[in-house]
Amino acid sequence: MLLVPCPNCGPRNAGDLSYNGESHARPDPKTCTPEEWRTYLYLRDNPSGWLVENWYCSSGCRKHFKIERHTLTGELRSAILPGSKPGLTKGETK
Amino acid sequence: MSNRLPAGEGEVLDRTQALSFTWNGKKLVGFEGDTIASAIMANGHHVFGRSMKYHRPRGGLTFDFWDPNTTVQVDNEPNVRASHRKLKAGMQVSAQNVWPSLKYDIKAANGLVGRFLTAGFYYKTFMKPAALWPKYEHILAKFAPGGEVDLDTPHGRYDKRYAHPDVVVAGGGPAGLSAAIAAAEAGSSVMLVEHEHHVGGHLLWGSEADRARATDLVAAAAAAGVEILTNSTVTGRYEDNWIAISQRNHPGVVERLIKARAKTLVVAAGTIERPYVFKGNDLPGVMTSGAVRRLINLYGVKPGTQAVVLSANESGDAAIDDLRRAGVSIARVVDALTGERIVAANGSKTRVKEVILDDGAKIKCDLLVTAVGWTTPTSLLNMAGDRPVYDANAARFFPAGAPDNVLATGGMVGDGSIEDLLEHGRATGELAAGRAVVVAHRLQAATARATAVVSPEPNYPADERTPLDRWPHPELFRASTHGIVDYSEDVSSKDLYSAAAEGFDSVELLKRFTTATMGPSQGKLETVNTVAVLAQARGESIADVGTTVWRPPYAPISLGALAGRINEPKRVSVIQPWHEANDATPILAGQWVRPDHYGDAAAEVRNTRENVGIIDVTPLGKLDLQGPDVSKLLSLLYTNKWMQLPIGGVRYGIMCAEDGVVLDDGVTARLGEDHYLMTTTSSGAGTIWNWIEMWLQTERPDWQVHVMPVTTGLTSINIAGPKSRELLSRLTEIDLDPKAFPYMNVRQGTIAGVDDCVTWRIGFTGELSYEIHVPSGHGLATWERLLAEGKDLGVKPFGLEAQRIMRLEKGHFIVGQDTDGLSKAPVTGLDPLLKLDKDDWAGLPEVKWTLESGDHPIIVACQPDDGSIVPEEAAQILRAGTSEIVGRITSSRMSPTLDRSICLAQVAKEFAAAGTSLEVLLVDGHRITATVMEHHAHFDPEGERLRG
Amino acid sequence: MAESSVSITHLDSMPKASVRAADGTAASSTLGLAFGSAEQRGDTLVVRVRPDEWYLLGDGAAAMAGGLDLSGFASTVNVTHSRHAVRVTGEHAADTLAKLCTADFGDAMTPNGAAWGNSIAGVTCDIVRDDIVSDDRTGTRSYLLLFDGSFAAYFLGALEDAASEFSLHT
Repeated sequence: MLLVPCPNCGPRNAGDLSYNGESHARPDPKTCTPEEWRTYLYLRDNPSGWLVENWYCSSGCRKHFKIERHTLTGELRSAILPGSKPGLTKGETK
Repeated sequence: MSNRLPAGEGEVLDRTQALSFTWNGKKLVGFEGDTIASAIMANGHHVFGRSMKYHRPRGGLTFDFWDPNTTVQVDNEPNVRASHRKLKAGMQVSAQNVWPSLKYDIKAANGLVGRFLTAGFYYKTFMKPAALWPKYEHILAKFAPGGEVDLDTPHGRYDKRYAHPDVVVAGGGPAGLSAAIAAAEAGSSVMLVEHEHHVGGHLLWGSEADRARATDLVAAAAAAGVEILTNSTVTGRYEDNWIAISQRNHPGVVERLIKARAKTLVVAAGTIERPYVFKGNDLPGVMTSGAVRRLINLYGVKPGTQAVVLSANESGDAAIDDLRRAGVSIARVVDALTGERIVAANGSKTRVKEVILDDGAKIKCDLLVTAVGWTTPTSLLNMAGDRPVYDANAARFFPAGAPDNVLATGGMVGDGSIEDLLEHGRATGELAAGRAVVVAHRLQAATARATAVVSPEPNYPADERTPLDRWPHPELFRASTHGIVDYSEDVSSKDLYSAAAEGFDSVELLKRFTTATMGPSQGKLETVNTVAVLAQARGESIADVGTTVWRPPYAPISLGALAGRINEPKRVSVIQPWHEANDATPILAGQWVRPDHYGDAAAEVRNTRENVGIIDVTPLGKLDLQGPDVSKLLSLLYTNKWMQLPIGGVRYGIMCAEDGVVLDDGVTARLGEDHYLMTTTSSGAGTIWNWIEMWLQTERPDWQVHVMPVTTGLTSINIAGPKSRELLSRLTEIDLDPKAFPYMNVRQGTIAGVDDCVTWRIGFTGELSYEIHVPSGHGLATWERLLAEGKDLGVKPFGLEAQRIMRLEKGHFIVGQDTDGLSKAPVTGLDPLLKLDKDDWAGLPEVKWTLESGDHPIIVACQPDDGSIVPEEAAQILRAGTSEIVGRITSSRMSPTLDRSICLAQVAKEFAAAGTSLEVLLVDGHRITATVMEHHAHFDPEGERLRG
Repeated sequence: MAESSVSITHLDSMPKASVRAADGTAASSTLGLAFGSAEQRGDTLVVRVRPDEWYLLGDGAAAMAGGLDLSGFASTVNVTHSRHAVRVTGEHAADTLAKLCTADFGDAMTPNGAAWGNSIAGVTCDIVRDDIVSDDRTGTRSYLLLFDGSFAAYFLGALEDAASEFSLHT
């Protein structure tokens, strides 16, 4: 089981957290096209390599954060709390 | 005939403790310390069962944990490893895979028709025609290996434990012990895991000096504080050194799974002696040199009377000495180092009788011992990412590199004297401890609650161990004849040749096609021989063929151990003891145990409609919301408008997920300027809490809202029925006059003497009703007060079923019952609640597009034309006279109020108009008709009762 | 192992308040503490259980919560009836919890005064290690577990079952 470094609690078992998947920016609901919205809803890059994803420390500090995970090696780096630093979005590495 | 030797120095037996047991019904006696197999052997029996496919008689091969040939039934437990399980008095042991008896086995005829059971027979033989599968299955079941499962066997107690050792050492041989001692002496907390019953490894069946050394090592380990787990197996290594340990000797439990987060893992699994492949290699009486050494030295058992020994190494030579000492005559030593080879063995049905050498000589014997080399059980290293490489000079695989927090030592990484192995183990233990210190430092420094670190991070120790030598060893895998490669799966080298010829010539494909290496020994005895035979078949080297990737488990683990203790959290309200005392029939709704009814749900409905009923609705999700931005949050998550809700007002809302699908619904009350109380469905409470936190933290971090779940803190009681106002008025000073406290309003105040209660007027049941939320310390007393005060009004409790009937009479849908994971908000038909003119809300775009297209099913109320028929929930609605599905019944009940069946249904839009006739397909195949109603409510569609 | 092994006490009516307060508010600076730590103040145990949430536990909880300056962005909720408390104490307290919880109960990772959230037997809990308790059991290993009270019957059963291999006192 992966140890996920929660930016508040420190390294925790992945099972202590909820996994919320790849990080994708939410389009403007007033102006977006169906294609843009459904890309946000359903399409995932699932790269072989570094991926920015969302985790929720559901049994610990109850904070959401983004983290980079290498999908091949399981390595984790650069945990970011929303609001504390510019958030990572898709395709970005810190 | 007894094969028990006189007491020996190193034996693990307590000869003062005789243990009676039965073997295939025959009474035998062994000693405390015997394994089941050693006790059976000591009594002169040497056939343990028959093989899986060909039903060939099998004797012990290795007499250790991995022995593939001594699997037996013990009492009602099948598939017991007789060479590992300790004998206990009174055990009833019997052979498996035999019918009607071990001696006369009918299925041995398989051996005669063996060509039909060759490689891949699972895939080929029973393929076609598919219609015959049930018959095939019936026949196959008789041939399935394994013992008899007694379905009445009581459930064993299994357990689980989490651990956080600095160092886990897998393997309790000399190198593992030495590593554990060194790590512990360096200050690490150490768990040493050994799958046999004693630590010491091959020292235990070695010389007097070896045994003395084992004793010293065990004492040193104990003194250093090493936690020694014997009869336990490290079954897997996962990310970040998450280690699974199956512990079989914990008191009071059958098996216990330890999940350890180790800072460093030391793998010291040793080497496993490889069997030799030749014609007759599975005859009883053919065994490895380690097997005879264990039988003689640990268990005082004489393995035969006249032996041929094929030896390529010092283990074979030591076995010869042991055999001589045990009084076994050595008929011939076949010295593999000088190029001598055996070709085949012949035997009777039950024992090897002669060995044929490559010079044509035939040697009579009843025991053939082979010492042809070693397999490195690198499984745990493979799981860490290592891909071992074959060394032809040493005739075995060696690790090629694992992550920094996984270290290997001992026979796995090389050869040497005991002193060499101990020194390598010591250096490995020190390195493991040094690295564990750094990992511990990092964990502590990164964890807020941990003890603060004061010193700087220590240097990460480099690996400066002196590597062990690799001693040359001849490559001995298969003789010039074919024999068994995988004993437990009954796969021969001939099978592997033919599979390769059929194109299954990659080792991973070959493994799956033939099932070689996939049995209970998980490839420990078979993998390298499989690879070697495939290399021969392909005419390539072993290094070119490569090996399979060893995956968890290292050794089989029971499903019971994986399940551990059964922990299924259950929730109850504080009124549950009253419900139980009053004969409530419980129903499990999510994690909540609730009263379904108190005997007669229909009577509960009638009483509520006529008088007054009370229901415990505590499981209703309740969230306390505080802050200046709550109204904005509600507007964002509900589809309707919330900015104008006055203090004291209550409003109903629907929430959507971002795909527009209905996520939850409920009412929310405004208690104060910046204070709201939200209710969710019972099952949605946790989801909605997380949903709100996600929106607040990730999309609207500037909004000021605090969310606190108070579901359990408030006991919720719905008081419903025409006399509910009268009942509540007897318990409160709150002004219940309909003008002062109208429908969809909330009031705070004292009820039954309890301060801080919240009361709102809502109408899920369709009756005049008040829902009171009482601090749950007073919940039970308030419930009892309501029943006492309302006796003359006819107050009675009602359960979940009566509530479901009444809400269906009223036409209220339930999220997840009348909607599903595809039901977007317009399906509810509540279009006025879907405010497209708001700037944003969760799911808005999808809801807008769905409404624009108009292409969605819709919930309608309908009534079967024959009111005595209640169509099943999920019954299909069909286009009349066809099999085209145009909808389904989502809820259905017999209505005690209307005395007829009533339903909610989801139908295609064209069937939604009032008066439309629907054709409903019942589960029994009959079709009935039902008519769509004008309103969702079957009863009081104008809502006069609840607004009164 | 006999007397001091492990005991489990249900403290269902202990007064409890939750305080949520953003950084920089008066309430936040009054309550203080580092995230993940707890401190006994008079008859109230103050626990900073999340970066922006404190528990006030004990007879003084309501008074302390009521006395807070809630200006800025701060709020309190009485959670006396929402969150129940169980105290697990004794020589085998940590061994008992280690059968149900993934946390490292060693001194380095969870010293006396540590507070954190973790699932125990499938129930989300907030755990406070407070070895020095108000009676005479000073220094005895002790954990205060806060959990949703509706789980109480199940949760106590799971704890007692886990403790049964040790010498259990309820």
